[in-house]
Amino acid sequence: MTVDAARQVQATDHPTNPANRPASVDQTFTDFDGVAYHLESPSKAGPLTLSMDIRCWSELVQAGAMDVLQREYGSWLRSSVEPEYSVTLEFDFAKVPAPGPERDALIESVSLLKRNAMAAPFERAFALQKQLEQASEGGQPAAPGEIMPINYRDDEAIYVIPSADRVTVVFSTTFKEETDKVLGKVFLQEFVDARRQPSIQNAPQVLYSNREPPLEVRKVAGLNRGEDVGYVTFVLFPRHFANAEVMAGTISRIQLFRDYLHYHIKCSKAYMHSRMRHRVAEFLKVLNRAKPELAEKERKTASGRTFRRA
Amino acid sequence: MDPTCRPAVIFDNGTGYSKLGFAGNSEPSFILPTVVGVNDSFLKNLRHTDSNSTDTANWLAQYNAGVMADLDFHIGDDALSKSGGIYTIDRPIRYSQVENWDTLEKFWQQSIYNYLRCDPEEHYFLLTDSPVTSPESREYMGEIMFETFNVPGLYIAVQSMLTLAAGYSTPKSDMTGVVVDIGDGAPQVVPVVNGYVIGSSMKSFPISGDDVTRFVLQLLQERGELIPPEDSMETARKIKEAYCYSCTDIVKEFERHDKKPDKYIKLWSGRKPKTGVPYSVDVGYERFLGPEIFFNPEIYCSDFITPLPDLIDMCVQSSPIDTRRALYKNIVLAGGGTIFKDFYKRLQNSVKKIVDDRIAANTARLGLDVKPQPVEVNVASNPIQGYAAWFGGSVVASLPEFYDSCHTKEEYEEYGASICRTSPIFKGMY
Repeated sequence: MTVDAARQVQATDHPTNPANRPASVDQTFTDFDGVAYHLESPSKAGPLTLSMDIRCWSELVQAGAMDVLQREYGSWLRSSVEPEYSVTLEFDFAKVPAPGPERDALIESVSLLKRNAMAAPFERAFALQKQLEQASEGGQPAAPGEIMPINYRDDEAIYVIPSADRVTVVFSTTFKEETDKVLGKVFLQEFVDARRQPSIQNAPQVLYSNREPPLEVRKVAGLNRGEDVGYVTFVLFPRHFANAEVMAGTISRIQLFRDYLHYHIKCSKAYMHSRMRHRVAEFLKVLNRAKPELAEKERKTASGRTFRRA
Repeated sequence: MDPTCRPAVIFDNGTGYSKLGFAGNSEPSFILPTVVGVNDSFLKNLRHTDSNSTDTANWLAQYNAGVMADLDFHIGDDALSKSGGIYTIDRPIRYSQVENWDTLEKFWQQSIYNYLRCDPEEHYFLLTDSPVTSPESREYMGEIMFETFNVPGLYIAVQSMLTLAAGYSTPKSDMTGVVVDIGDGAPQVVPVVNGYVIGSSMKSFPISGDDVTRFVLQLLQERGELIPPEDSMETARKIKEAYCYSCTDIVKEFERHDKKPDKYIKLWSGRKPKTGVPYSVDVGYERFLGPEIFFNPEIYCSDFITPLPDLIDMCVQSSPIDTRRALYKNIVLAGGGTIFKDFYKRLQNSVKKIVDDRIAANTARLGLDVKPQPVEVNVASNPIQGYAAWFGGSVVASLPEFYDSCHTKEEYEEYGASICRTSPIFKGMY
């Protein structure tokens, strides 16, 4: 949810409202991965509610989503959830801070509602990794922790596995379109190879396998083993979540990987289209130059009258 | 994720502004200028080489420019604020027609992913276009949407039809009416009967909202008001939006202004963009002379002198005779250029006068005993006029029959882009 959309949350700044008073609003909008939002304020005095619906909410709650949301939103979180949605925030206009940096910070934080909810499994994995690391300091490396599946889309899932010295994140990706499949494969191969560039040595290691799930997730139930499934594995080392700032950045980025991938595939298609159009224009220019000369033919009929063929 | 369970995405791309949002909402999520700021600095160096070597050199330059050079662009207000540097401004839509498909594709790309943040594969799309768009143009639209963005379904609606479907002129939306669309592109007077545009009766009007701004600026400058030249159009536009209104009679209005200057003359104050020095401008006669150019175009330009009410009348008279009463009864205003205060009243009175005069003259000439039923003239106005087409799209796309009437990706794969040439009107719209 962009910050612009979130500004509607603080409808006190509604641009068409010259008196700078809260306005009533009722909007539904969506985010990536099938997430839906409903922003409503039934009357000018009424509280503003923002509800979000995520498909994998139950798994997120298992991984500790409510704790994360409690930490981020505290009193704004409403215990009674709007029907058909997963979580609801409620804002009483009297308690919202006045326009200024505090309100901007609140707006930003609210617009990251989905990100914060999805961050729960990752934060837990990072915490578990630290535990396992300490546990294995004695000498024997501890067994990897349990796998946390997040089925955030119909046929795709993220699996987070904390181990003693790393956290592995496995994405299962599917492409419905033929062109997308081909482009996707090329893209993901590039991802694996890109690490050789000296400038991004510190990036997490990426592995890609087509169809065969990597060893770590083989035992998960309900694994997608179809023909067009690909598995992308990110290996996150402790330095990727060493301090809070780096950790937050890592979580934000890795959550959106699948959408990022599809976005870039579409951009490549758009770019190829523009090259194709350019090529067509060039060819048309050549064709236009190849017109035959129109010879003005004067013809004679039997009786000697001349006429010109139109 | 079934796309039919999620709200459809409505894109109303106009010449000046694009309105984007989701179906079911009462206003668009984003209204941004249809502008793309492209960074093609790596291309500029090669402009002067001949065409053969341009391609390889072009490609090399792009490759050297970096992996993401083709993604280096901005749209909307971002593009306008960054203009002048390495970004060149490009407007893909001019006079309601799409001129540059590459730029439009880029615009859509960013608006879907960065602004609306939705996955195009999960939503049906409703796009709008002008009644004068060629069928090939609609094919291109469909091609881009289906091929690049993999949308599951697409419906391309005519803006005039959506304005009527917005249904604010009558309690139930009436799909017969005249749509007067004054936006940034070519303003059109379009008669629509039962949802279908009568192409031969469409009339176009060369004076748009931009011209009103220009006229206001001209008047202000003629009077000697000091407006910073680098910002003149912007300032004039803001003055127009803040203070202009439509009057009933120019002569009376001049008198009113002269009698009570302190009530009518407004002060506009601003800051010069370069120096930050504050300046102020008196706004007087411009307030009502600006919108007056719709009713008396000769005060602005000499090559077009048909006033708007006359044009509307001509348009209706050239439509099939059995539709004329219905058309007069439902004249709907749309577009940003129609939201002047009392504009609709003036238009209604003018059109009614023309119609009544004609009927009276007819009756007198033919010496009829029975007077014909008076023709009802209604000009409808509503606060959402500025984005009436978008609102109509939102209404239409929330109907359950919408999803069945869209062209689906499977149809596109089977039959090709030609299916996008027309989109059917469906039950539920009226």
